[in-house]
Amino acid sequence: MTATIDSEPRASVNLAVLKRAGMVGVLVAAAVVFALLKSGSGIVVWQSVVTGLLTGGLYGLIAMGLTLIFGVLDIVNFAHGAMLAVAMFISFGVVQATGLHPYLTMLVTVPALFLVGAAVHRGLLSGSGGATLENQLLITLGLSLLLENGLLMFFGAEPKNVTLPGETQFGVFGAVVSGSRLYAFLGAIALGLLLYWMLQHTRLGTAVRAVASNGPGAELVGINVRRIHTLTFAIGAACAGAAAALAVPLLSVTPTLGEQFNITAFVVVVLGGMGNVVGALVGGLLIGLVEQLTTIYLDGQSSLLGVFVVFVLVLFLRPQGLFGRRT
Amino acid sequence: MIVRKLIAAASTGLLLVTAGCGGSAPSGAAGDAAGSGSGPVRIGALHPVSGSMAVDGLQMRRGAQLAVEKINEAGGIASLGGRDVQLTTADTQGKPEIGQSEAQRLISGGAVGLVGTYQSSVSSNVSVVAERNEVPFVMDVTAADEIFQHGYRYSFRVQPGNGAIATSAAEFLTKVSEQAGKPVRKVAIMHEQTDFGTGAADAFTEAATDLGLEVAPRISYDATTASDFTSQITQVKASGADVLAVSGYYSDSLLIAQAINAVKPDLDAVWGVSNGAYDQPKFVSDAGPIGENYFSTNYHFDAQNPETRQLREEYQRRYGAPMRTGAVLAYDAVQTIAAGVEHAGSTDPVAVRNAIAKVKVDPLTVGDGPVRFGRDGENVNSAAVLMQIQNGRVKQVYPPRKAESDPDYSVAW
Repeated sequence: MTATIDSEPRASVNLAVLKRAGMVGVLVAAAVVFALLKSGSGIVVWQSVVTGLLTGGLYGLIAMGLTLIFGVLDIVNFAHGAMLAVAMFISFGVVQATGLHPYLTMLVTVPALFLVGAAVHRGLLSGSGGATLENQLLITLGLSLLLENGLLMFFGAEPKNVTLPGETQFGVFGAVVSGSRLYAFLGAIALGLLLYWMLQHTRLGTAVRAVASNGPGAELVGINVRRIHTLTFAIGAACAGAAAALAVPLLSVTPTLGEQFNITAFVVVVLGGMGNVVGALVGGLLIGLVEQLTTIYLDGQSSLLGVFVVFVLVLFLRPQGLFGRRT
Repeated sequence: MIVRKLIAAASTGLLLVTAGCGGSAPSGAAGDAAGSGSGPVRIGALHPVSGSMAVDGLQMRRGAQLAVEKINEAGGIASLGGRDVQLTTADTQGKPEIGQSEAQRLISGGAVGLVGTYQSSVSSNVSVVAERNEVPFVMDVTAADEIFQHGYRYSFRVQPGNGAIATSAAEFLTKVSEQAGKPVRKVAIMHEQTDFGTGAADAFTEAATDLGLEVAPRISYDATTASDFTSQITQVKASGADVLAVSGYYSDSLLIAQAINAVKPDLDAVWGVSNGAYDQPKFVSDAGPIGENYFSTNYHFDAQNPETRQLREEYQRRYGAPMRTGAVLAYDAVQTIAAGVEHAGSTDPVAVRNAIAKVKVDPLTVGDGPVRFGRDGENVNSAAVLMQIQNGRVKQVYPPRKAESDPDYSVAW
């Protein structure tokens, strides 16, 4: 019912999407020009744009799993941030124990989170207990509290840090980009494309889309809906696992770090159109930009202010999101 | 429709979270009035030993416990016939309302005085409870100055407040930069945007402006959501400031150091003001060479006092971690209450309060003399000290009588 993963009928929809993308582009350009006028320093604005896009890639990466789960299962997963935190601790632990390169910990975090996701869905959400919205909410929220406090108990509140071996800086026309942020950004794009390709061109992806657009119908043609649900939830959780390995050199790892991303990720999901994976990536980039430009407009007041202004505007003008369709 | 669902979900979630924080009513009546008569003299310790502040909270609880052990080893409270002191502890969870109800519980349990609480927001609630129950409350770590503007009689504070530290920071900055032959003219300041950072930045700006410095740009940020400070540091670079002052918590200050390393702005020094990172051994190990030569003005344990050194060695031996300044301040706060009881020769909280207002206690933290409280409850001899990271160690460098080595007014990049 909420699926917007596919985009048919193609021609007319594509045109509309292009139009909207153009409009967003014009708005972004106007915002950048305004920021230039406000700060009077080209380099500051340019750095903000670059930083915004890079941070936005990270937001998009985290929001992708969330939007996938919402689009297919219609579950708002409040535990997504906490799962991200769990994955980061796994990544941190593996780096500590084996000295593995932080990015290679993805080989551990992705399968681990896939299993966690599958277990959570099978164990907590797929039964009759997880049938209503209220229950899903209570379960995922409770799970996030459980995970956060469990991490606190085992690892303590002391922030942990992972350094990327061979960390360097790149100059991009005067702006500075640290290697770890650039790699995380590229990883986000790659993962977004991979997920999109999987949904569009594999048997599993087709089944996922079928379940998303019409559950009973999919059941009738022989798709095991419950299994697809579990798989989708697991894939969504695995996305958090991948995001964790890419982001772990950028952040201080604490049990509560998920909270920091939960709210932003929800805004990104709504902005990009709920259930739309590519939309989440684009929405992430936009939110990253908005955050950075807000600090220029408002002389460094809470960057979340700008994010929420955009959020409210989107809800008001285009509640189905920039790239979603009305249901 | 999806959106309506999402909003409903989000608001229900919020409701749940707030409802979850109620809890923990003051348990038990005051039946067990152990404060009077016989048995140990009870001192209540309120610290956040769970939640995101748990590391510091636990440190401080242990610091208070060590002080109690020391007093008992030395024969307890002599004026009460050698009665032992006992620490009754409570977990504030970092939440003001829990701190409030726990303070009430400790007082009902017969505490003659309270120490705590690491967070200004919690302390301001606890100070109201202390005032209402007429029980002295000696704050170990509490930065905000507002609590001492209400004319409370039962609130005392060992550490220098936000304003005092920021004023010292501006003073030290002009002196150290002049000594180095590079007098500072323009300071950029970055601060986290809650009471703590804003208060520090306000006080620093005022003091620096009085000393004839230009403070610009002033950049605030949200410490809970910020994940990259490259743009802000680029802004500092473009402004042509000589020095960057930073008032923040641990993680954000670390991110700022990483951004400075990336952008390499043309600064003479990085200057922590009540900073939560730049005087921590953990920062030295996390940041590595990029944190070298960072300055920080803050309260600090007295590295030159042999008694402090002994205490910190004992802590390290027992708990396997370096003892932080907060824990040493908790030690001082417990000492102060015990001295008050000793002086009063009574466990009546009002008598103890009156004695605390008059006692002089030698602190293990840096000060201009013994802990002694003014009419407002502030320690008149509290003092901030300037530290610098030199060769991977945090060293006291200014003022000269507390210095372990000379300040090196430069940057490492």
